[in-house]
Amino acid sequence: MTLLKHHDPQTAWAVVQGRSKPDEVVSAMLRVEGLVTLLRHRATQDLQDQIERRCIKAGIKITIFGDENYPRALVADLAPPAVLFYFGDLSALNSRRVGMVGTRSATASGRYLASHIAHDLAINDVCVVSGLARGIDAWAHRGALRALESRAIERGAGRLADRPVGRLAVRAAGRPVGVVASGLDVVYPRENAQLWQDIARHGALVSESAPGSPPDAFRFPLRNRILAALSEVLVVVESRDTGGSMITVDEAQKRDVTVLAVPGSPRNIASNGTNQLIQQGCLPIIGAQDVLVALGLDNRRAQENIYDPRVRLSTSDQNLVSMMIGSPFTLDDFVIRSCLATIDAAVSLGRLEALGWVVENSGWWEVIEVRQPLH
Amino acid sequence: MFASVRSATLLGVRGSRVDVEVHAGIGLPGFTVVGQPDEVCRESRDRVRAALLSSELPWPTRRITVNLAPSGDRKSGACLDLAIAVGLLAAQGLLPVEILSQYAFIAELGLDGSLRPVRGATPLVLATIDRQTIVALENLAEANAATVTQVFSAKTLLEVVECLSGRTEWRKEILQKTLIKKSKFVPDLADVQGQPVARQALEISAAGSHHLLLVGPPGAGKTMLAERLVGLLPSLDDNQAISATMIHSSVQTEFRNSGLIRDAPYRAPHHSSSMVAMVGGGTALMRPGEISLASHGVLFLDELGEFAPSVLDALRQPLEQRVVHLARARTSVVMPAEFLLVAATNPCPCGEGTPGACTCDDAARARYLRRFSGPLLDRFDLRVAVSRPNTTDLISPIAGESTSVVAARVAKARSLAFSRFGGTNSALTRQQLDSAAPLTKKAEQLLRKELEAGHLTGRGYHRVRRVARTIADLTGAPQMIDETHLHLALLLRVDLASGLRRREMSF
Repeated sequence: MTLLKHHDPQTAWAVVQGRSKPDEVVSAMLRVEGLVTLLRHRATQDLQDQIERRCIKAGIKITIFGDENYPRALVADLAPPAVLFYFGDLSALNSRRVGMVGTRSATASGRYLASHIAHDLAINDVCVVSGLARGIDAWAHRGALRALESRAIERGAGRLADRPVGRLAVRAAGRPVGVVASGLDVVYPRENAQLWQDIARHGALVSESAPGSPPDAFRFPLRNRILAALSEVLVVVESRDTGGSMITVDEAQKRDVTVLAVPGSPRNIASNGTNQLIQQGCLPIIGAQDVLVALGLDNRRAQENIYDPRVRLSTSDQNLVSMMIGSPFTLDDFVIRSCLATIDAAVSLGRLEALGWVVENSGWWEVIEVRQPLH
Repeated sequence: MFASVRSATLLGVRGSRVDVEVHAGIGLPGFTVVGQPDEVCRESRDRVRAALLSSELPWPTRRITVNLAPSGDRKSGACLDLAIAVGLLAAQGLLPVEILSQYAFIAELGLDGSLRPVRGATPLVLATIDRQTIVALENLAEANAATVTQVFSAKTLLEVVECLSGRTEWRKEILQKTLIKKSKFVPDLADVQGQPVARQALEISAAGSHHLLLVGPPGAGKTMLAERLVGLLPSLDDNQAISATMIHSSVQTEFRNSGLIRDAPYRAPHHSSSMVAMVGGGTALMRPGEISLASHGVLFLDELGEFAPSVLDALRQPLEQRVVHLARARTSVVMPAEFLLVAATNPCPCGEGTPGACTCDDAARARYLRRFSGPLLDRFDLRVAVSRPNTTDLISPIAGESTSVVAARVAKARSLAFSRFGGTNSALTRQQLDSAAPLTKKAEQLLRKELEAGHLTGRGYHRVRRVARTIADLTGAPQMIDETHLHLALLLRVDLASGLRRREMSF
């Protein structure tokens, strides 16, 4: 614990292993035997007490490297965390694991895809690991939770929210795991508070930082390394060319974790990073099925079970929709690309919106992408 | 000795009659001006004295009292100079007192005895409409255009004296009423490439006088579009022209284009403008603000979010009543404010707005949107998202129509609207709407659905119908309003906050 206070977790780990030397303050303390014992005792005791009090108060559990329930995926890692704080049940990690990352400012279709891919993975008993940030992360978790819910409803167990903390869904579907940067009692971003609770209840919420740690900028890259280490396959849904998701991709590549990317329109800034990844040779995916194949869970021949409640479109409407798929567009774009008069374009757009094929967002329109091919 | 001379002073955009009474009596030589003159007015003593001496006219060595009747009202400005000088000469018996009752005098005097132009020549001359009025040469054109009575001009005080005493004739060119009108350069709509929706919105806005809000990233051409709206408006009719000329005349001494203002004015005040600059007031003159100057034309507010909230909220009352009523402790004036409001704003703090390209979080967006009060946003009938035209749009097959083509359609639609209730479609009352804009069955269903879904408020419901009326007029459907018109009207009402509300996805 003292070590953690003076070093970042990686160095702390090195010191424990004897591979690295403690810094001057700590080594000076180590030299004076009596003092060291006393200080060490008191310092560790104080800090330990403090952390323990916080953990007990918040119901946070602790696992240390070497413990029985310490995630096995991390044992052989390049930079395993010395200690992990967690909510929920770490056995969620015992199934197949897919990491999902992406930009915080996602487009509507990015959010839609993230939640759908996560949902389909969870239905196939895959554990979705993500960072619980805004945007793609949060929507991936929402998708995974929805899968748990729909499975539970199939079994007559009711909605998640109505159920007490329980294990009704244990074998029903893959449970979501959130890896966060701040202490587990510091919810960040605040808007995800409910999601935070749901994941802690029905999956596991993991952090390397001690309770009370604020969401400092340096913690996020460290968090990304754990996320990459926990994933067997990493899916990037939407990412710009720089940012947290690309750091996670780097970490995954260091660990030989397969990286898959969802392609986007080259006109869509939010897909710049993923498109670059694909350019560099990363496998493009268009749905959860491709991820399952990458995991070796090939059930392409199994019966597909997709339900799209929307009314099938007329041929001309289908043409309009396929013309606008890709990036958000304005009414201007629509008029120009469809070569319709403004008034006719307005009527078409109004009809498509009423049918649920496009959605408006402060003057920007997006096609809600279909889960089946258009033809 | 006593003389009374007619003149006028300016208050707001109107002139008010002033009788300058000059009394030269026995006593210690001196000169007092009474009747609530302001600083500029009081200084006229020195100007008049120098002008008289320069013109080799005598300055009386007597006790002189000048009274500006009615003495209860505050007078300001230098437009009384000439009247005081003439009064002084008449009081000394150098001019026949009886012929002064046919004339009024409105001009400032230079120290060399020359006549200088004054602000507000049009309203001032209209205040002395029952007499022949003498103004400076520079003011002649605008004074002449506004009134039916004879207006004379002179270059110097000496010339005025000569003419009044009958020794010479008034200048000849004064009677010549035809004036060469230099039309202002108005940018053409054909310069706008692509952006068909924004163009359509301009057309609808001009045809129905619907207030327009352009939402888009920097560089999308919002300012360019707004500048072109004024060219689509028809030229002003006689009443509007006189009203506009009166307003503009009261803030500037000379018109460049001389004569009446026939083109719709365009005003684009910077976002640092104060409340007084916007609505008027300030000095004792009650200067008209930008909203009055934009009367019968376009008021363009770029970067709407950067204006002080108090300034924006001050626009709400004039927007509804079409006049601005300014009350001060001493005076109160009513000034016209019949403007078409066009505003431009970025969609969010980073300016991008495109989902995916925008770097703002929800809290920052919400904070930004809070700057525009809901009631103000609600007054924009048309809210249009404008995006940057890209290369493909620039070479798109849709060629831009020029201002003259669109203006012809606008004029047709406007005359249709005027033939119904004698006003533009945006001025239709709720009662008039039912007879002027009947809905087809399908259109009614569409509106009901929108209302039930909560996309429309009660106020929005009527506004959409007015806009749909204009769209129908433009597309040559003067009777019923069907769902196509309504669809477009609904799409041209972008809800800025919808992105914040619609975050849930359908599974």
